[in-house]
Amino acid sequence: MSEAVHFDHVSKRYRIGRPPLSLKTLLGSLRRRAEAQERAQERAQERAQERYHWALRDVDFSLQPGQSLGIIGPNGAGKTTILKLLSKVTYPTGGRVAVNGRYSSLIELGAGFHPDLTGRENVYLNGIILGMRRAEITRRFDDIVQFAGIGQYLDTPVKRYSSGMYARLGFAVAAHVDPEVLIVDEVLAVGDMAFRRKCYDRMVQMMKNGTTLVLVTHDFSAVQRVTPRCLVMYRGQIAFDGPAPDATAEYSNILRKAAQARSDVPENGALSQMVMTHAAVIEGVKLLREDGTPAFTFQSGETVRVRMQLRFHEAAPAPIFACSLRLPDGQTVYDYTTGWAGVTTPTFEPHSVAEVEFALKMNLVSGAYQLGVDLAYADLSCYYDRMVRAVDFVVVGRDGARGVADLGARFAVVHTALAESAPGGACLPAGAPAAIPSLETNQ
Amino acid sequence: MPTLVFRTLYDYRDLLFAWTGRIVRARYQQSILGGLWAIIQPAATVAIFTVLFTRFLRVDTGGIPYILFAYAAMVPWTLFSASITDMVESLVTNMNLVTKIYFPRDILVIAALLARLVDFAIAFSILIVLLVLYQAAVNLPGLLLLPVLLAVQLALALGVGLIAAAVNVFYRDVKHLVALGLQIWLYATPIIYPATLVPEHLRGVYFLNPMAGVIQGYRAVLLSGDLHAPYLVVSAVVAALMLGFGFWFFKRMEHQFADVV
Repeated sequence: MSEAVHFDHVSKRYRIGRPPLSLKTLLGSLRRRAEAQERAQERAQERAQERYHWALRDVDFSLQPGQSLGIIGPNGAGKTTILKLLSKVTYPTGGRVAVNGRYSSLIELGAGFHPDLTGRENVYLNGIILGMRRAEITRRFDDIVQFAGIGQYLDTPVKRYSSGMYARLGFAVAAHVDPEVLIVDEVLAVGDMAFRRKCYDRMVQMMKNGTTLVLVTHDFSAVQRVTPRCLVMYRGQIAFDGPAPDATAEYSNILRKAAQARSDVPENGALSQMVMTHAAVIEGVKLLREDGTPAFTFQSGETVRVRMQLRFHEAAPAPIFACSLRLPDGQTVYDYTTGWAGVTTPTFEPHSVAEVEFALKMNLVSGAYQLGVDLAYADLSCYYDRMVRAVDFVVVGRDGARGVADLGARFAVVHTALAESAPGGACLPAGAPAAIPSLETNQ
Repeated sequence: MPTLVFRTLYDYRDLLFAWTGRIVRARYQQSILGGLWAIIQPAATVAIFTVLFTRFLRVDTGGIPYILFAYAAMVPWTLFSASITDMVESLVTNMNLVTKIYFPRDILVIAALLARLVDFAIAFSILIVLLVLYQAAVNLPGLLLLPVLLAVQLALALGVGLIAAAVNVFYRDVKHLVALGLQIWLYATPIIYPATLVPEHLRGVYFLNPMAGVIQGYRAVLLSGDLHAPYLVVSAVVAALMLGFGFWFFKRMEHQFADVV
């Protein structure tokens, strides 16, 4: 029993809908009593079944001390339930959960923060809630403040903090609890990239010191970086348990299957009215560096190869390939189809497999992006298959630019001279160096 | 089980005190009068009853100025009723914590109670001033009884608070029910009137109300009234039972709190 975390065939059932008893149901049941007894019973039984929802079914895994585990999956797959069971906030309906050693759960940043209290007061409060002793917080106080970078606002009520400062302070406290098991939910989505990086670095450092980490996230690049092993959850069950790179591929797969099962109505665009035939399917999408190594994090300006693996069940004459990039909020960054570009594609034989590749120059600023691909009929009447969000990836910029496109700004002072006491305020005579006004608009 | 309760409380003492401090600080933050509110609340109630009972309806307080008679009882009663009101809501208002982070949930309830002790101390200091001003006949050796009285009423309040807070998670009706109950309870306790107003043959039933014995106790000590030790014993027994049942009930329900959505 040296395991740090052990989930022994754990199931969790939630009651959904109304509370078991209310005045309405009381009155309702009185009325029903008058009705035929059997029918009422029948219905009650039906309702009893509907009222429960299995958030987890037979989830079984364990972690040795110092190991780490990423958990990914669509919303409602049971990820958060696992975290709640781990942190003993809730109890399993079946099976057993064991966590050995001191644990800290980072399910909400700044848990227990009171908006009217100062940063200093809240550090103590939050630290104690997360399981630190008062003396321990005092000892680490300077580290915490330094990590959060909120020095001069320490005695300001946190309600005056920006959301970024709030999140930074919250994570800073949690990162200094030094637990044996650290449980982290998707809480880092709020911070900016630099701060997220700092948080992940801190997690990696804690793991090196022997902390067991369980991380729930949508950020695939974080999974790659922080947790070599990854669970893919789907509908309360473990759909995949293995190396993180395979897990991200598996996750895309699951989303795609789910979309098919719903006989998906795809969103916007000219193809929106069409359905998928699956005469050909996209079996996988990988992002590769120029040298062919798979990756999820790229330098701005780097060329990324989007490799699609395809299986053709039927003949596909000159299909159209497309790939699109989106921001996490859904805004389209780039949309390319071989149709628009006038690229001719061959005819693919029935019962064949193929690999095709797009090469994209990632002239993007730092940020997280989502890549989707489609495969459509030559006349755009139908999709063979499409993956709206096939892979998520991260671009790391060279400069601090914001926005979407990396235009590779360079700055130079073109000319400087003393203004010759120009009367009438004609500081910028016609024909002044164009660089100056354009610089101003850049700011 | 009792040892378990105390052990976890001891383990989580930092949290208990930090949370209590949070409530107290937050209560008077951004308020002009701050801690004065702890006095205004009972004082206003007493003022109303003083006008009522000295101008319109005369009650026999045994020669004690009515304002002193009522205030000496209103201060402990305010602690009792305000702390129960706070405790009932203590879980529901912190559901975001309860559903996300583990700690013994009774911490939240107990902290709500302890936070009211600060108000009690402030209101009590005014009571001392009044006692001196009116040169009240304080029963000096009886002062030793004050901690006992306080303990009994705290135990009673906590017992009620634990049960009400737990049920309130499931049914919000409890909050309203408790508010109503406390209003009735105020009149069922000798606070604004002397217990002597209650017909002799009903006093046995009357003093089954544990707060009656406690309030009589406060008056006995501070204003040299009659102590009626048996009534105080009844109060202590009821309070102990209530506290025990409260913890038992709370611990049984505790693990379901986070699942209520």
